[in-house]
Amino acid sequence: MPPSFLEERRKAALEVYEREPIPTWRRSGFWTTSLRKLRLDELGPRRYDPVASLDELSPVVTDALRGEELAGLIVQRGASTVYTEVDPALAGQGLIVMPLEQAVEEHTELVERWYMKRLSEKEGKFPAASAAFWTGGAFVYVPRDIAIDKPLQVVYLIDEPGTAQYAHTLAIVDEGSKAYLREYCLAPDFEGQALHAGGFELYCRPSSNVKLAHLQDWGAGEVHDISTKRVEIAADAHCGWVPIYLGGRLTKQTLDIITAERGADMRHNGLYFTERDEHLDVFTTDLHEQGHTTGDTVFKGALTGESRASYEGLIEIVHGAQETNTYLQTHSMLLSPKAKADAIPSLIVKTDSVSASHGGTVGEIDEEQVFYMQTRGVPRLEAIRILVEGYFEEIVQKLDDEVLEAVVRERIAGKLTEAAAEVEEYIAQR
Amino acid sequence: MSLEIKNLHVRTEEKEILKGVDLVVRRGETHALMGPNGSGKSTLANTIMGNPNYEVTEGQILLNGEDITEAEPDERARAGVFMAFQYPATIPGVSVANFLRTAVNAKREEPISVKEFGQILRANMELLKVDPQFTSRYLNEGFSGGEKKRAEILQMAMLKPEFAVLDETDSGLDIDALRIVADGVNALRGPEMGTLIITHYTRILNYVRPDFVHIMLDGRIVREGGPELADHLEEQGYDWIREEVGAGAA
Ligand SMILES: Nc1ncnc2c1ncn2[C@@H]1O[C@H](COP(=O)(O)OP(=O)(O)OP(=O)(O)O)[C@@H](O)[C@H]1O
Ligand SMILES: [Mg+2]
Repeated sequence: MPPSFLEERRKAALEVYEREPIPTWRRSGFWTTSLRKLRLDELGPRRYDPVASLDELSPVVTDALRGEELAGLIVQRGASTVYTEVDPALAGQGLIVMPLEQAVEEHTELVERWYMKRLSEKEGKFPAASAAFWTGGAFVYVPRDIAIDKPLQVVYLIDEPGTAQYAHTLAIVDEGSKAYLREYCLAPDFEGQALHAGGFELYCRPSSNVKLAHLQDWGAGEVHDISTKRVEIAADAHCGWVPIYLGGRLTKQTLDIITAERGADMRHNGLYFTERDEHLDVFTTDLHEQGHTTGDTVFKGALTGESRASYEGLIEIVHGAQETNTYLQTHSMLLSPKAKADAIPSLIVKTDSVSASHGGTVGEIDEEQVFYMQTRGVPRLEAIRILVEGYFEEIVQKLDDEVLEAVVRERIAGKLTEAAAEVEEYIAQR
Repeated sequence: MSLEIKNLHVRTEEKEILKGVDLVVRRGETHALMGPNGSGKSTLANTIMGNPNYEVTEGQILLNGEDITEAEPDERARAGVFMAFQYPATIPGVSVANFLRTAVNAKREEPISVKEFGQILRANMELLKVDPQFTSRYLNEGFSGGEKKRAEILQMAMLKPEFAVLDETDSGLDIDALRIVADGVNALRGPEMGTLIITHYTRILNYVRPDFVHIMLDGRIVREGGPELADHLEEQGYDWIREEVGAGAA
């Protein structure tokens, strides 16, 4: 029997889900994110049996994890948790890594204290859907005063068209602890539609130091990903978050970082690479709820094909949050004449005595840079690849994670190779 | 072994810039190309490298007898032609060391070993008195004028071209830096390399003595001579040449 807090929350969410129509996100100008092509009725949760080894799963999982030693691992395929693992020594020190479904039973108080503290079913149809329907899920709890260097890994895998995956990750890094959390959303290339509706919440408790990375690569299928990810940072805690978007037919993301108490510090460095007819819509908010907090957000993207990408980044400093020091920058790079990008930084400041700045650009690779590299013997295409890699380097190195950095670099290189002819032509024409 | 420019006519979208340039640089020779601002020196350098902004409407560029007029810039580079830019581009996110390795490897079948690369790089950095930290910086990003020029010569040293065009590498260098760069060029030139130094000043030519001096005016080479021609220019400026050329034309 699930505890009543969860039942109530699911019921409330279901009401919202049933009441709300499928949304369309419109913004001033040409930008609209519409789900009219999504055939929601044809999608449903898919259940799978657990596996004994990751090799039994779609190779996209091992391709991304590359056999790295992990502090803990949860893999959810469709609606089912199919693999879990946790370093026994760390478990002995109190580390919890398990499906959220199980944590609700086994760590009821802990889950109840944090569950959906910063997420709400009232935010819309899809946040309500994931709150109402999630199964499996991930729960990560890092107890006080321990330092874990190896990654804590959550994987959401969709490998069949027709799948609707409702996901929920809840993570808490308790006081004075250090941890590295990664959440990957992966799919092989397939034909047909799928949906991932996800909720993610991370609580960085006082004086904790947390690294967080998201990798989304849904492959070439028609995966629609509508997710909300929220990070709360308590007093004197630090969180460095690197979300990476490498593919999905339609992606609508709400990413929020909240510096909730004095001394909280966040670094938010994201990147995306869209191709073909992909559509990506990311809205980040750096919410400073208290003064004496610091923030730094840099988001960079590149587009090929006929893809569309919009990044909107908001810095919000609430009334009374003085002595806040924050900065937001976004850049998009167009690599195709048919791609469209939007980069919109904005600022809401309701107090005085803060330092906040923001900027946004949409740019292109310079033929002059390509020529310069060619005069050093580097062929055009490789020059373009190096320039794009160099453009992203600022973000990628923030990962400070050799394995994931290699994955990201390789995939970007692969995408550039695929779009080579088009990119080359485009740069030469201008 | 030579780099040969034959009756080269070059234009941009707007206008004709080079109006028939002939120039031969053989391996082992050092040439200086001088001329007033806007006369077409950088255009010549860029055309030698195959900059797509410049269209060759007539004439040829031959490398060791082979026509490279239509070759891609990277093919020319791999064939042994190098240019140190007057205004080098910035390459964000790519460190000097990584860039150099990529460039060195572009010419090779098998990538250079980490050890060998490190050795060559260190030797060249010593030669050019480059700070070791320099190579971890992103290429030309936030570099001072002098640092950019030094980075260009470092690239030349690593790539060991057969023919190098130095476009105002001496401009913007303080006296010490000029000396270091000149020493670097001197160490690299020799029977293996032909050098074309584009400059406005005889300063560098006092360190790197040219065998030949060419004066460009309005897209043509109008005077040629030995090093004494450069000295003469330094004293007299370009007016006398303009007058002589004008008189000749009239
Ligand atoms: N890409 C270009 N597009 C249009 N005009 C150009 C271009 N490059 C050069 N020019 C023009 O061609 C002429 C020659 O320019 P160039 O840079 O070759 O002169 P230069 O001799 O190198 O001058 P300086 O001594 O000032 O470096 C100038 O009038 C310049 O404005
Ligand atoms: Mg010039």
